Amino acid sequence: MLDLLVIGAGLTGLFAAYTAARAGLRVRVIAHGAGATHWHAGTIDLLGYLPNGQDAVANWTQALPELPPAHPYRLLGVDAIAQALDEFQHLAAAAGLPYVRAAGATDLNTSGPQAEPISQRDAPAEQFHDPDLGQNAALVSPVGAARPVYLAPAAQQAGNLEDDRPLLIVGLDGMPDFYPALIAENLQRQGRLARSASLPLNQLTKRRDHSPLQLARLLDRPAAQAHFTEMVVDVAAAGERVGLPAVLGLNDHTRLLKKIHQAFVSRDPNTARSQDGQGSGAAVFELPTLPPSVPGLRLDTALRARLDRLGVRVEIGMEVCGFHAAGRRIEWIETETGSRPLRHTARNYLLATGGILGGGIYADRCGHVKETVFDLPLTAPQTRTQWLRPLFLDRRGHPIFQAGVSVDHRFRPLDQSGGPVYDNLWAAGAILAHTDPIRERSREGIAISTGCAAANAVVRGL
Amino acid sequence: MPPASLNSVGLSLNDCIKCNICTSYCPVSQVTDSFPGPKYAAPQSERFRDFGHPFYADGAGPISRTLAAGQMPDASVDYCSGCRVCNEVCPTGVRIAEINARARARIVAARGISLRNRLLGRNELLGRIGSIAPGLANFLLHNPLSRRLAAALFGVAEKAPLPRWHHHTLNRWLARTRAQRLRGERKVVYFHGCATQYYEPFVGIAAVLVLEHLGYEVIVPPQNCCGLPMLSNGEFGAAESYHRRNVSRLIEFVNAGYPIIGTSTSCTLTLKEEAPELLDLENDAGTRALKLATWDIFEWLRERLDQGQLPSDLRPLHQSDQPFILPYHAPCQLRAHRIGKPALDLLARIPGLDLRESHARCCGIAGTYGYKTEKYQIAMDVGAELFDFVAAQSTESNQDTEGSLSFTACDSETCRWQLEHGTGLPSRHPIELLAAAYGLYDLHARRPADGN
Repeated sequence: MLDLLVIGAGLTGLFAAYTAARAGLRVRVIAHGAGATHWHAGTIDLLGYLPNGQDAVANWTQALPELPPAHPYRLLGVDAIAQALDEFQHLAAAAGLPYVRAAGATDLNTSGPQAEPISQRDAPAEQFHDPDLGQNAALVSPVGAARPVYLAPAAQQAGNLEDDRPLLIVGLDGMPDFYPALIAENLQRQGRLARSASLPLNQLTKRRDHSPLQLARLLDRPAAQAHFTEMVVDVAAAGERVGLPAVLGLNDHTRLLKKIHQAFVSRDPNTARSQDGQGSGAAVFELPTLPPSVPGLRLDTALRARLDRLGVRVEIGMEVCGFHAAGRRIEWIETETGSRPLRHTARNYLLATGGILGGGIYADRCGHVKETVFDLPLTAPQTRTQWLRPLFLDRRGHPIFQAGVSVDHRFRPLDQSGGPVYDNLWAAGAILAHTDPIRERSREGIAISTGCAAANAVVRGL
Repeated sequence: MPPASLNSVGLSLNDCIKCNICTSYCPVSQVTDSFPGPKYAAPQSERFRDFGHPFYADGAGPISRTLAAGQMPDASVDYCSGCRVCNEVCPTGVRIAEINARARARIVAARGISLRNRLLGRNELLGRIGSIAPGLANFLLHNPLSRRLAAALFGVAEKAPLPRWHHHTLNRWLARTRAQRLRGERKVVYFHGCATQYYEPFVGIAAVLVLEHLGYEVIVPPQNCCGLPMLSNGEFGAAESYHRRNVSRLIEFVNAGYPIIGTSTSCTLTLKEEAPELLDLENDAGTRALKLATWDIFEWLRERLDQGQLPSDLRPLHQSDQPFILPYHAPCQLRAHRIGKPALDLLARIPGLDLRESHARCCGIAGTYGYKTEKYQIAMDVGAELFDFVAAQSTESNQDTEGSLSFTACDSETCRWQLEHGTGLPSRHPIELLAAAYGLYDLHARRPADGN
């Protein structure tokens, strides 16, 4: 029998499955569709804004006590969050997708960013007293605003706005939903040296489909990489760092990044501060795009590859349509099929189905808000008129996005009386109440830290 | 959860949140501009076709209703292979592939169907004609000159992996071995499908042997093509008459409580879901009863495994000490059942078998799609992901064990033919592997171990 059945294949579900499988549990993941990872910008945002704060959070470890007591981060504490992130960095590095501290002034002359998480792993105690722990950095957003980020894919780190090098934002003619002139103009308004340029795509491909994913697949090819590098170097002036849409390859983007960087360095050794083309000193960086998001797809691929190695099957296309509980134990759940429902049995069940966007919570026109799998009690606004504030971009966010499942310190969903609803059910990620990951910019931090914590609670309970 | 609707296909487009996940996974739009991708072809275009709505003032069905000017589906929808990967990954449950299938049927209803597509849709008829004189039929179809002619005259791709008629049908083998067949209280019904009847009777033989090994009498009643090739090519009328005939032929067994078990994942999917849904027969009592009684063979065997009813006398598939490496591809048509990958659960029980699960999206052939000249190359480009996966296992096996791969495994017949065409390795249905592990079947010669 399975020790753990994870429902949901987003960052939360996949990372929870990874944590549990590494502890030796027999784990399987089922999900209705491919996970929300496909919409991610690829960065790991921990805490960008406090519920009532105007300014971006500079260091999330210091901001944590200001969160409401029921917030998932308060249930966890700094050490547990830092440990989960450390595990995540290790996983990503092992899968060839290095993540670095966005604020880290990575000196790449001595060691590559891949080495960083591994050395941290060997000395966890040291890491928690590390002075940079929790330091956010502002990266350029896809519209040229400042985006508070904690961990960034190495490919995005040179988009740090604290860097004073002038910026060149380069777009691709015919690529939808990426506007280099808009980004550069917004950056100029914030007092930065920025300009934009555009590259023709017709020299690279005859295809008419210029979605980010299609371009990334194109740029995995060595011939296209060489041509593209030449075009980028031609358009940039000495001393500029270049922001490109995040399409620099699906399977092999670090190679193209290095290629472009080295071309800059060989043309003008003062252009860049880094030797190997990665990290904060690089001459090039990626800017996230609208979905399909290539950095999100890379992350999904990395997680799935690790799970595959651990023997964890991820089965997509399965929508839960029923369950059976005896007392406070869930005995089995059922998913819909082309014919009769399919039964899944496990010792423990972890709910990682997401919030309203991910499908874990369904809000109907009549104002009812429902947890879609187990119909768990929800913490949510009483009536529909309380869901939203009048202003769409209200800084306080909208109450409906805080709707979710309340959990105890072991991440078991609670009923109205404050006790666990079921003894073998756990919940993590965007389905949790008392947090608004969109408003807080804490989506990935919540996913990784609570997914890890819930999985660890399952491991301890066995 | 959103409420169920009378017409789940048409209304499901309202659940589309434009997230582009389907576009990210579509294997066809990845390799060609001829197909603009699931999101554009299905939910977005469907909004501009008024037949998506289930309720009409005149009460006409969704397909036969005449179109207002300018609402003819764009011809690019014909380049959807119908693999259903989009449905699988869609996080909100839009029935994308079905919306496309209906759009194709609208085009066929308005403009007619080519002779080629009409022929490809009729594999039962082709199978029956060819099996009168299999040797002659194979010669007529498979010599280079006729393949070139078929490509030039009909548009059947010259290199595409057309099957060969077997020298006997499954029915003939059943008649010949009638005396040896198990009789008993516990009975199941076997739905063989056209490919097993005419081209690969040995798959049916393996299925019968395994089911009998479990102690079940296997009933093989007269049956028709499930109608899927016609549904894929937009001939809904003909498909409906085939489906209704199957219902009338199988319903007595369904009512007697016998499971209808199939080895062809596409046929069982059609009985379960495609025919009821596309043909608006979900409220037809017979269709519904058959839908609920139909099983993929490994789905049914997994239930026996879970209930401790599976004989444990499974033996290694070969003599040497080296592990038997087997790349397994769960075809899209099986994944569309939403039952997981049950063959993996059973094959994992075979001692010494090193299963390698493919994560490739599609082999490319998608039923009749890869047989069409204009689509052959697309099908091969789509399949490259799977062929590369198999090749990678082969390299690995050379290094580790100094052996090489001898087989691939896949549940669907056309996918196996495409796999053989793309990799050069023989491919087997997982039921053949299971039958061989029970010592009932010769995996190389593809016949019962006792020679019958």
